[in-house]
Amino acid sequence: MTLAELQGLLHGAITGAAPGREEELREEVVPRAPLDALERVEIYARMYLYRLVDAIAEDVPHTSRLLGHDAFVDAVRDYLHEHPSRSPDIGQVGRHFGAWLRTRDGIRPDLPDLAMLERARSEVRTALDAPVAGAEALQSLPPDALPAARFVFSPSLRVLRLQHDVRPLWDALEAGEDDVPAPLPAPTTLVVWRQEFKVFHTGLSEHEARALMVAREGGTLEDVCGTFAGEPEPAQAAFKAVLSWFADGWVAAVGAQRA
Amino acid sequence: MVPFLGHGIGLRTKHFPDLLEAGRRADWFEVITENFLNIGGRPRAVLEAVRRDRPVVLHGVSLSIGSVDPLNEQYLRDVRALADAVEPAWVSDHLCWGTFGRHNAHDLLPMPFTEESLAHVVSRVTEVQERLGRRMLLENVSSYLTYAASSISEWDFLAEVARRADCLILLDVNNVYVSATNHGFDAGEYLRGIPVDRVAQIHLAGHQDLGTHLLDTHDAPVPDPVWALYRDTVRRFGRVSTLVEWDDHIPPLDEVLAQAERARAFEKAVLEGEAS
Repeated sequence: MTLAELQGLLHGAITGAAPGREEELREEVVPRAPLDALERVEIYARMYLYRLVDAIAEDVPHTSRLLGHDAFVDAVRDYLHEHPSRSPDIGQVGRHFGAWLRTRDGIRPDLPDLAMLERARSEVRTALDAPVAGAEALQSLPPDALPAARFVFSPSLRVLRLQHDVRPLWDALEAGEDDVPAPLPAPTTLVVWRQEFKVFHTGLSEHEARALMVAREGGTLEDVCGTFAGEPEPAQAAFKAVLSWFADGWVAAVGAQRA
Repeated sequence: MVPFLGHGIGLRTKHFPDLLEAGRRADWFEVITENFLNIGGRPRAVLEAVRRDRPVVLHGVSLSIGSVDPLNEQYLRDVRALADAVEPAWVSDHLCWGTFGRHNAHDLLPMPFTEESLAHVVSRVTEVQERLGRRMLLENVSSYLTYAASSISEWDFLAEVARRADCLILLDVNNVYVSATNHGFDAGEYLRGIPVDRVAQIHLAGHQDLGTHLLDTHDAPVPDPVWALYRDTVRRFGRVSTLVEWDDHIPPLDEVLAQAERARAFEKAVLEGEAS
């Protein structure tokens, strides 16, 4: 067997990607009492699964707890068949787990959203550092440049569009409460961000969520203000929202050119 | 040759408050490379704070030097960028493979010790050293299986990789002990097979005895048999930068630092001829 064939054989057995080649494994792996060849391969197979279970559980500890240990291990095993790790960073293996949970039957309906919130908080915690722009960055622009001003957002900002409002659930789990709220079906936009080393999340109104989406896609301040057109006092609402983005440290820079 | 750094410990998240706010330090720190690629926040701040007054080395777990997969170009660029920023005393990774078909098993899988493997690893180490712009250290791994195809001993294989690729060796004493027990070879013969002038770093760690085999867990103090083998290691290799690894069930910083101090005492005793 060539090196490539041997690695393919062992990798397939360990990850479960290519099962059913026990005879070849018995020929290629040396038995030594008290373990035969397949038991030796199984050591690696167990470590593979549980190392990745631990890595994903570190991202989504509350989701893992709510699902229960055995169900969580089963879920990760199935997830890995569809989303095997493609990154040298083991911390990346769980990045699709929340979205993938939406395809899983028989679980609490808000668990995928909880997992997405937890994953976002984990990503934000170690996202790249960036400068923080204050509102004066906007005020320093010439008045005639303001409508064309565009925002550059912090790399640690995440926006989640969820099917449930999982904030009360997350709060209860974070507080270690045993009785957690029932699922709360409600389309919800959450923003997750970091100030210094502390991670926050908050909900956005429909108008502000739309404005933030426009701004993150490269829209101008004029475009952003336009999204508040349906509000009773659109200018004030736009002003209040944009100022809060600066105050919370979401904005890294402002420019008059397309970002 | 690389500098002697003393007796260090791994940089771990649990100890960040002690390191960042209280300013506690070991002689030097080893950083898991992948945990610091393209990141910011507190981990990066701690790394920068520690690096300001202590040597740091980068220790990778995902290079997969023995894999038949092509080298991961983006990963190498990221490691190079981190190394350029941190200016580590050296970079290291493992003599193993972990990817196949771009699917990462996130494990340190043992190589078959064959002429084909040897040529493959030597070629890859040479290429990686060129890409990183520096010599690297290769570490022996703990293993739980061996291959029928192997025709070379692990120590001869490691020594020959180092000689042909002109790289250095990170000798993990715990891994030698674990693999010697699991496969029935003589740990002393392993040490005697490793060239003295190639060993630039030593690892110490704890393991678990599962009855059927030893498992390299890094979740306990260094056990007595590994300290004994460390004593033999110092006798053969002399004063070498030594690091205590503790990656699971991590105790308070003082307890890990105490293990590094114990290594210092063992080394001193051997070098001053006081070993029993």
